[in-house]
Amino acid sequence: MIMSFSLPLVKMQSLHKSYADGAIQVLKGIDIEMKPGERVVVIGPSGGGKSTLLRVMMGLEKIDSGSVTFDGKPYISSGSSESKTVIDMSVRRSIGMVFQHYTLFPHLNVLQNLILAPCKVRGEAKSKAQDRAQTLLERFGLGAKAKAYPAQLSGGQKQRVAIARALMLDPKLMLFDEVTSALDPELVGEVEQVILQLAAQNMPMMIVTHDMWFARNIASRVIFCAGGVVVEDGPPEQVLGSPKEERTKEFIDRVFHINQ
Amino acid sequence: MDYTFDFNAVSLAPLLKGLWVSLELTVAANVIGIVFGFGLALLIMSPFKLVRLPFMLLVEFFRCTPAIVQIVWIFYCVPMLFDVFLDPITMGVLALGLNLMAFNAEAYRASIQAVPKEQIDAGIALGLTPIQRILHIVFPTAFRASVPVLLTNGIVIFQQSALVAIVAIQDLMYQGKSLATETYRPIETFTVVALIYFAVSFPVTQIVGLLERRRQLLVS
Amino acid sequence: MELDFSILSKFQYALLLGLWTTLKLTVICIVLGCALGFAVGLARTSRNIVLRALSSAYVEFFRGTPVLVQLFWIFFCLPLMLGVELSNFTSGVVALTLYMGAITSETFRASLKSIGPEQFDACVALGLPRNVQVVNVVLPQAVLRAIPTLLSNCVSLFKESALVSAVGMADLMFVGQNISNNTARPVEVLSVVALIYFVIAFPLTRAVSVIEARILGKLAI
Repeated sequence: MIMSFSLPLVKMQSLHKSYADGAIQVLKGIDIEMKPGERVVVIGPSGGGKSTLLRVMMGLEKIDSGSVTFDGKPYISSGSSESKTVIDMSVRRSIGMVFQHYTLFPHLNVLQNLILAPCKVRGEAKSKAQDRAQTLLERFGLGAKAKAYPAQLSGGQKQRVAIARALMLDPKLMLFDEVTSALDPELVGEVEQVILQLAAQNMPMMIVTHDMWFARNIASRVIFCAGGVVVEDGPPEQVLGSPKEERTKEFIDRVFHINQ
Repeated sequence: MDYTFDFNAVSLAPLLKGLWVSLELTVAANVIGIVFGFGLALLIMSPFKLVRLPFMLLVEFFRCTPAIVQIVWIFYCVPMLFDVFLDPITMGVLALGLNLMAFNAEAYRASIQAVPKEQIDAGIALGLTPIQRILHIVFPTAFRASVPVLLTNGIVIFQQSALVAIVAIQDLMYQGKSLATETYRPIETFTVVALIYFAVSFPVTQIVGLLERRRQLLVS
Repeated sequence: MELDFSILSKFQYALLLGLWTTLKLTVICIVLGCALGFAVGLARTSRNIVLRALSSAYVEFFRGTPVLVQLFWIFFCLPLMLGVELSNFTSGVVALTLYMGAITSETFRASLKSIGPEQFDACVALGLPRNVQVVNVVLPQAVLRAIPTLLSNCVSLFKESALVSAVGMADLMFVGQNISNNTARPVEVLSVVALIYFVIAFPLTRAVSVIEARILGKLAI
C-alpha cells in the first residue's frame, strides 16, 4: 500500500495563553496542524483569540504552555520556568507577517522599507536587494512608488508595500492579521488581489479576516475560533456553507446578515 | 574637597521674608496673566487684520526676547517714557504680568483653536446662536484644556520672578544674594534658596502632570 | 522726551562683540546640552531603577528652580567645591548646558514615547536584531519627531543666556546695560538690545511651525 504522506508545516499543540496573571484566558488549548500549501482562514468573534494566535505564531506573544513546531523543527515552547517562552529565532525568520495598521517605517521610503531587513538581517548586497525589491513592486503595481514615503500612499498601497516588505525575506509561511480592516471599502479589493496572487503560487498562509467573501475565495480550510478554542475546522464550503456546530452557524448567520 | 558645610549660618527669616515677596509677585502676575491674557487671546484671533497684527506682534515680542531684558527695560524706560514713577513692587508685577499675559494668550489661543469642529457642529445642530456657541461650547472647553498650560506658565513666572532681584526688589533671590555676601557662605545659602524655589514649584508641576494624565485618559 | 538713536552708532562694535559672546555661548550649550539631554532621556526610560531615579531627580530639580539661581550656584559654589578657579565663560557653559540638558531630555523622552508599539511588532516580524531596531528604526524617528521642540528649546536657551549678564559675563545684555548706564540713554539702548534678541529668536519660532508641519506631514502614516 502506498501512503501519501506529508509532514505538517505547522503543528500547534495545546497552546495556552492568558493576560493579567491568568485572569483573562485568550487561548485555552489550541491544536492545529497545517499542511504545506494550505491556506488557513481563521474566523470568529472579536476577543476569541484569532489575532493572539497569529501573534503567538510570529513570536510576538509569550505563551503559558504548549508548543509549536515548524517544518519539523521545534519553534516555540513554554520554557522550564513559568514566565519564559523559548522561541527559535532562525525558525522565526522564515515566517512573515502583515498587520492591520500597515506598520511601515514612516521615516523610510518604500524601497528603503523593503531592503532594510534583507540588508541588515541577511547581509544581502544593497544593489541586489534593490533589484529584487523593484521587481516585487512592479509585480504588485507599485513600480512608480519606490521613492515615495508611506505618508504619500493610500491605505491600499501601504498595505501592498507591507506585503512586499514581508516577502523580501522569502518566507515559508505568511500571516495576515485583519489586513483589510482599516481600509476604505474601495481599497480592499487591490490588497485582496495581491494575496490571491500569492495563493496562486501556493504560498502557505494563515489569515484572520472578517470578510467572508474573501475567506471563501482564498481559503483551502477554515477554522472557527471562539472563546479561545477551535470550535469547527474544515473545508470552506462546509464551515461557511453548512456548519455543523450551532455556535459556528449563529456566527456565520449574523456576519452574512451584516455583510449583505 | 576640603570645604566644611555650615548651614547654621543661613538664617531662614530673611529668606522667608523674600519668599513672601516672590509669592506676592507671582500671584499678582498670575491674576494679570490669566485675566488679560484671555482678552489678548481674543484680540490676536480677531477677524480684522488691523486689530490682529499689532497684538500678535506684541505677543511675539514678549515671547521672543529674554525676560530679563523686558524687566530691565520696564524699570528704566517706563518712568522715562511715560513720566510715571511707580513703586518697585508694582513695576515688578507689571513686568512679570505682561510677560505672563503674552504666554497665556498663546495658550488660550491654541486651546480655543483646538476645540473640535464636531463640538461646534453639534452646537449648530442644537440651534444655538453664534454667541451662545462661543459662550457655552468654545470657551468652557478651551478653558478646561488650557488649565495645565496656565499652571505651568504660572509656575514658570514664579521662577522668572527671581529676575527682579537684578533691579533690587527684595525677593527670595535678592535676600539670598545679600545673605551669601554677608555670611560668606554662598554654597549653603544658594542651596537653601534653590531648595525653597523647588519646594514651591515641584508640587505644582506634579499636579500639572496628574491633570494631563487624567485628560489623556478622558480623551482616549 | 526726545529719542536719539544715533548715539548707538558709536557702540556698534561693542554690541556686536556682546552678541558674538551670546551666540557662542548659546551654540556651545546647544550642542553639549542636546547630547546630555539625549543620554538623560534614555536614562529616564531605562529599566535600571537607580539610573531612572538619578536622571529624574536631575531633571525635576533643574526644571523646578530658577535658572538665575542655578547660575549663581554654579558661579559661586562650583569653584569652591572643586577647589579650582573657573573662568566666567566655563561657568556659564556648565550652568546653561545643565539647563539645556534638563529641558531637552524631556523633549527626547516624549519623542521616544511617541513611537507606537506596532513599530516594534514590525521589527520583530522582520527579524531585525536589537541594534538595527535602535539605529535604523527608533533613533531616526525619535530625532525627527524631536526636532521642532528642540528648536523651541534652543530659542529658550538663547533667551535664558541673557542671565549670564547678572554674573558679569560680557554678553549682549551686559554690554547693553553698560552702554545704557554710561550714556544715560536706557530707552534707546535697551530697545535696540531687545530688538536684536527679537530679530534672532522670532524667525526661529516661525521655523518651528514650518518644520513641525513638514515633519508631521512626512511621518503621519
